[in-house]
Amino acid sequence: MTDLLTLTDLVVDIPHRRGTLRAIDGVSLSIARGEVLGLVGESGAGKSMIGNAVIGLLARPAHVAGGEIWLGDRRIDRLAPHQMRQLRGRRIGMIFQDPQTSLNPLMRIGDQLVETIRLHRPMPAASARTEAIRLLDEVGIPAPEERMAYWPHQFSGGQRQRIVIALALAGEPELIIADEPTTALDVSVQAQIIRLLKRLCADRGVAVMLITHDMGVIAETADRVCVLYAGRVAETGPVTEVLSRPRHPYTVGLMDAIPSLDPARGEPGVATLRQIPGAMPSIAARPSGCAFHPRCASATPDCARVRPDPRPAGRSEVACPVCAPTHEDAAS
Amino acid sequence: MKHSTPTTTVAPVLSVEGLSRDFNIPVPFLRRLVPGRPRPVFRAVTDVSFEIPRGQTYALVGESGSGKSTIARMVVGLTRPTAGVVRIAGHDLFAPDARDTRQAMRRRIQMVFQDPQASLNPRWRVEAIVGEPIRAFGLASGRALAARVAGHLETVGLSAADARKYPHEFSGGQRQRIAIARALASEPEFIVCDEPTSALDVSVQAQVLNLLRTLQSDLGLTYLFISHDLAVVRHMAQRVGVLQRGILVEEADTKTFFAGPKAEYSQMLLSAVPKIRKGTDE
Repeated sequence: MTDLLTLTDLVVDIPHRRGTLRAIDGVSLSIARGEVLGLVGESGAGKSMIGNAVIGLLARPAHVAGGEIWLGDRRIDRLAPHQMRQLRGRRIGMIFQDPQTSLNPLMRIGDQLVETIRLHRPMPAASARTEAIRLLDEVGIPAPEERMAYWPHQFSGGQRQRIVIALALAGEPELIIADEPTTALDVSVQAQIIRLLKRLCADRGVAVMLITHDMGVIAETADRVCVLYAGRVAETGPVTEVLSRPRHPYTVGLMDAIPSLDPARGEPGVATLRQIPGAMPSIAARPSGCAFHPRCASATPDCARVRPDPRPAGRSEVACPVCAPTHEDAAS
Repeated sequence: MKHSTPTTTVAPVLSVEGLSRDFNIPVPFLRRLVPGRPRPVFRAVTDVSFEIPRGQTYALVGESGSGKSTIARMVVGLTRPTAGVVRIAGHDLFAPDARDTRQAMRRRIQMVFQDPQASLNPRWRVEAIVGEPIRAFGLASGRALAARVAGHLETVGLSAADARKYPHEFSGGQRQRIAIARALASEPEFIVCDEPTSALDVSVQAQVLNLLRTLQSDLGLTYLFISHDLAVVRHMAQRVGVLQRGILVEEADTKTFFAGPKAEYSQMLLSAVPKIRKGTDE
């Protein structure tokens, strides 16, 4: 497989009055064409910041302070703003959490689509209109021709998110960054949007970076998953592997903490959830060594000193010298 | 099971009968002047009845707009029902001559809201936030009040020293603990939890859910637990009610419900929950 997007040792810094905060601290990952990579982590893990770094939309003063971002054979972390603008929407599409705020409320959705299509792919207005109708149809909006004249507020939340996806597809991108695309939606609508994203990915061979805090969404959508903790990769690997045999103590704890519908996880209304003590450290007070060590049950004195790098363990890569690769079944 | 003590002789902590609530739909100004048209109303809750025995948790599930929060507001007395009766420990909360009962009931009912960011006054210290119900109901003052606040903070897993801090100095999970401490401060029997963990991360959610469970068994609390997350509900409740557009479409024991929901809508909700295939592909 050829990798479409490659990040190597990405570092994102946020300078402030008394020094610099390191939000992303040496993250390496890659996404192949047609692959869905799930980026999971809790608030403060840095998952959205990685997405924003890739599309060059880091909010100042945050900036890429080290490492490289490659899209195909082009390095994109050093591009001038106008070059980045040509890439954004064209080669990289974006879907954000809240469809309410990513659509222009004062523009009919047909006009928004036509404008976006013609911006990225110069063509006569009439063909752009045909293309817009085709896109609406593709994302499952019924009676697309008629709906072209509707305003965003005339659609439900799920339909609005479908329109946002159509907009993201307008430039025929190779990569889509979807930042919490289903978080604002009800479960039944969420399931529809997940199915749609998967279908588009398969039909068009688009690579998707799916940023979410929801392991369930990852399990249903992603091919590979990358678990982030405090600005570093804790564990990365095929979804089935990471979810069924988590190795990093953080992933293990996270999986145990998720309330489940699985009857094997105890009687309804009775079983106690397993919990990870403490909370994700704030970016200003990250512990030395492995950032997870103060919350980790299997931490050794070394963990406070040595910052672990991901190393192969089974079909995954795990950033924990204690749990990988020797104790393969630390999870069970 | 700890909570299955017989409750035949005691009135249920909460009983709701034929509860309905209408909301007026705004009409354009000029059309409002046209006579002879009835005011259009939206029926958010239609004829809902259920009860919660002491020490148990009843979960209301449903998607946005299903009327969960409207029921929560009526049950705590914040919204007046259009029709129906809310009884707390046998007392009608909205009886016309029940001003005094209502005041007395207020202390025994508390609420924990979804977003601790929005439900805690950012300009108040934690001691003022948690102390307010104690002062309002005249339960203690002066040094006794400070001691009670410290006690409640420790009950929810914070330290007495946290009383001097402001909400912004805490993480999201800790803020929800403060909100729970405030709910405990008036020594209630019945707490309405309206999506108490949906603004929290999973690892923190587990801590808060476990805390709610421990408090329930230690203090004998009764919960109305409102959530859109079926997995959380399965974990927390003894009984489940499913709301669809304001109508209670199904009600069952948690065990029976998750073994096989009857209503088509419940089945759809359950099947829409993403499944984490854990340990099944070995």
